[in-house]
This record gives sequence, structure tokens and C-alpha cells, in this order.
Amino acid sequence: MLDILPEWFLSWFSEDGQEMIAYLTNGKHLTWYASVRYTLIAAVLSALFAIGFGLIGAALKQSGFFLFRWIGNFYTSIVRGIPDILFILFFPLAIEQGVEYFIAKSKCTAEQLSAIGTWPPCQEAQWFLTTNDYLFMACLSLGLVYGAFAANVIYGALHAVPKGQLEAASAYGFSQKQVFWKFKIRQMWVYALPGLSNIWMLLIKATSFLSLLQVTDIVYWAGLLGAANYFPRAGMVHPNWNFQYYFVLFVFYIILTMLSERFFNMLQNKASRGMSVVEQ
Amino acid sequence: MKKFILPVALALSVLATPAFAADKVRIATEGAYAPWNFLDDDGKLAGFEIDLGNALCAEAKLDCEFKANEWDSIIPNLIAGNYDIIMAGMSVTAERKQKIAFSDEYFPVTKSMMAAESGKTFDLDNLKGAKIGVQGATVQADWLNANLADGNTIKSFEKPDQSVADLMAGNIDLLLAGDGYLDEIVASSKGKLEFVGPGYDIGGGVAIGMRQADKELAGKFNAAIATLKANGTVDSLIKKYFKKGPYYTSITLDGLKAEIEALTARVKKLESK
Repeated sequence: MLDILPEWFLSWFSEDGQEMIAYLTNGKHLTWYASVRYTLIAAVLSALFAIGFGLIGAALKQSGFFLFRWIGNFYTSIVRGIPDILFILFFPLAIEQGVEYFIAKSKCTAEQLSAIGTWPPCQEAQWFLTTNDYLFMACLSLGLVYGAFAANVIYGALHAVPKGQLEAASAYGFSQKQVFWKFKIRQMWVYALPGLSNIWMLLIKATSFLSLLQVTDIVYWAGLLGAANYFPRAGMVHPNWNFQYYFVLFVFYIILTMLSERFFNMLQNKASRGMSVVEQ
Repeated sequence: MKKFILPVALALSVLATPAFAADKVRIATEGAYAPWNFLDDDGKLAGFEIDLGNALCAEAKLDCEFKANEWDSIIPNLIAGNYDIIMAGMSVTAERKQKIAFSDEYFPVTKSMMAAESGKTFDLDNLKGAKIGVQGATVQADWLNANLADGNTIKSFEKPDQSVADLMAGNIDLLLAGDGYLDEIVASSKGKLEFVGPGYDIGGGVAIGMRQADKELAGKFNAAIATLKANGTVDSLIKKYFKKGPYYTSITLDGLKAEIEALTARVKKLESK
């Protein structure tokens, strides 16, 4: 990396400084910087899942059919109370073992199936999960957890849309369908956005759990790079630098939340344009 | 609605094509036990076992890939099938043999050494009141618990680097670990650390850990290990990473060269004194 930097730039630094630049731009560190993609992908994908589950949950909660209503309420009240870290640990494992269970039933012999203590019963039923599979499942779990919160927010927002708006719309001759989609749903977002932005913030924080599922994200690499190294051939010899590396993560998450706040303010302004009813 | 369904369907299709049959031999290593296995500056796994594993796979005409796994879950995850073999500086022990199978060894038995801060003296034969560090779930940890637990405090660490860091910081008095791991750390500590005592004979040689059912794979690796031991490949890798041996072929050119180098260095050191 040092050789691609211009001479005049490097001349600003002492020899130690140049060594530090070389250290911070070596392959290990570049991999660390690049692993931000897992955090960002996880945040966006989980948010999409959360919105999806949230919409479904809210629709169930206000359904006229009691069973749907019951399922919706069950989902939002049960899932909300379970720590997300447990969901992340439990859900992918449950899916993996569930899939393996069905494969094992068809592929393993009866003798293997009855054996106790080994899972899966035979190697043919072994499901190898890649990093991307785990990432996807982590997103699904996060989406499930935060979808429950989103369902409550959306449910509340649907009820917050002033009745007068909808009555006026029908009076103007819009059909029931149009009233629902163009007025109720459209205005719902204005009331839901502050709550959803809160959920987004929680979700960003929860992305730091990815390393639990062997996803080599920024937290994983920070731990690895911060670990002490006393073996010269494995790179720079240094004592435990975990504090410094975790501090970088700290700053990263603060910046990410600050940027998100700005983004949501923009969205809020956009969604509430032309709506004098909404108090800003 | 279609716009929403499509990405979800695409995402689900990722799950619909899972890999069940192992087309590659997956090798697990710790990645934090230099020079056996470590992460190099590029963030890739490197070390004695990575080079040896690749050489063995080339010899046995197998397609292999390495992956890092934490030491304390490395045997359970092998049994669960997350990977197919373990090459992580793992000594053969009777206890481990109950759970997994081992190939023929690819690194001879070496001593385990006690390291301490330079200048401190210990009465190793009647050690009392010392804080001794060790990596958990290792042969050294078992040995310490059996022999020195009485009257001393044994502190077990998840990762080897943590144990060295605590020794450097003075949180523990002594550290017990394999010779191959400690050698270069002590040598490059600029005089801060030194070995105490003659060392201990703990555990067997180092071998590949495998599932007990994988007899065919074991056969392939044993054949490859025998070939590479005989033609000097294993010795030249030991030379590359451990400098001083021990070697399999009793006299090798590389081994002699290394001995001569070491002796000349020692003579020079004595002369300068």
C-alpha cells in the first residue's frame, strides 16, 4: 500500500508514522474495512424483513377474523419480549436442524436414525452453511424480532390517521380501495416514521451480533486484530490492542446512527409534505 | 406487490440450493497458534499446518480448503460436521481418541515448556503459591490440573495470545505451553521472557483429527503423510517454521545446515562475551 502513495504525502510522516500507515493498510486491515459490507447488508436486509413482517403483523392485528387477530397479537407480544441475541442464536440453529431432520428421514438408514448422540444421524444429511447463508438467516431473525416492533408501530400509525381525512376522501368519490391505499396507507407512513426510525437504530445496534453466527463482520475482525501478537512472522508485534479497536467500532456506530437520523429527517419531511394536519 | 415478492423469492432461492455432499475436504485450524497456524498480514491463514495441509492434499489429490475455528469448540464442530479434519497443533491423547480418530502423526513429540519473566526464579520441584497460565482444553492444561493444581493457582485462557499477554503484564507468574509455540515468542521478546526449567514430556505427537467413521479419508491422509515424511517435505516445512526441528529423517541436509547455523551463532555469541 505504501508504494502507491505519493512521495510528498509520505514525507509528512516520520518512519514510525509510515510504519503505522503500512500496518493500517495491510491486507488484514483492508479486510476489516471491507467487512463493513456485512453490517450494512445485514442492516438493510433485516430492515426490509422487519417492514415486511411489520406490515403482515399489523394487517393481522386489525383483521376482522378473530384467529388472524389472535395470531397478530401473539406475534407482537411474544416476540417483542425475547432478547434479539437469543433469536439470532436460536432461529438459524432451528432452521438448520429442521432441514437436516427432514433430509435425514429420507437419506439415513433406520439404524443411524435410532442412534443417540450424533447430529445429524448421517453425513449425507449434513447441511453446510456458508457465511452468506448465516448472514441471510441472521437477517431473517432480526427481521422477525424487529418486525414485531414495527407491527405495533404500523398498527398504531394506521389508527392515528384522522378519520376526517378518510371521510373527506370518500365524500370526494374515491372508492374504498383508493381511500385505503391512497389515503390511509399513504398518511400512515407519516405517523409511523418516527417509530420506525427508532427501530432502525435498535436494528443497527443488533447487527453487532453477526459474529456470533461466524459471519466475519467488523466486530469479529476488530477482536482478531486487537488480539496481542508476539510472533514476528505473523505481522507487527504488539500487546493487547482490543481497547483501541473497539473504540473505532464505537465511533463507527455513532457515525452510522448520526447519518441515519439525518436520513430519517429527510424522509419525514418528504412524507409529510403538503400535510398541514401533522404537527412537526 | 410483485416488486416486493421478487427479491424475497430470490433470497429464498439461496436457501433452496444447500450444499449437502462434501465435494471439498474442509480443514479446520485455530489461526492463532503461530507458527503452527496464524493469520498473516494479508488476513489469510498461514503457517506450518497450512503449508503441510496443502502439500498433503496435493499428494492425496484432494481438493481442500482451510477455515478458522475457535480452539475450544474445534472437536465438537468436527463431530457435528462443520468441517472434515482438524490440523491445529493437536496432540494425540487417549482422551481425545475416545471422541475422534487421529491420523499418523505429522509432528514428533516435543517438550512443553514453562516461560516466565526474566530474572524470576522458581523452585519447580516444589512449586507452591504460583499463578500458572495455560490455554484451556490442551494437554498442558490437563497435565497442570493433575500435577500442579495443589497449592498453585491455574489460570486457563481461551486463546494462546491472551495467556502470553497476561504473562507479559505480570498477571501470571508462569506459562506452560508447547515448545514450538513459545520458542519464537521467547526469542523475540527482547529478553523480557525466558524459559524456566528443562520442560516436560506431555502428550503425544501432533496428528490430524478426524471423525471416527471417515476411515477412507484417514487412509488417504496416512499414505500422504508417509510419503511426505519419507521425501523430506515434512522436515523442510518443520525447518521453515520451527527452525530447530525435531525432524523425522534423522540426518537431512537442511537439518545439518540448521544445526551448523545454530552452532555458529552460539560460537559467535560466546566469542563476543
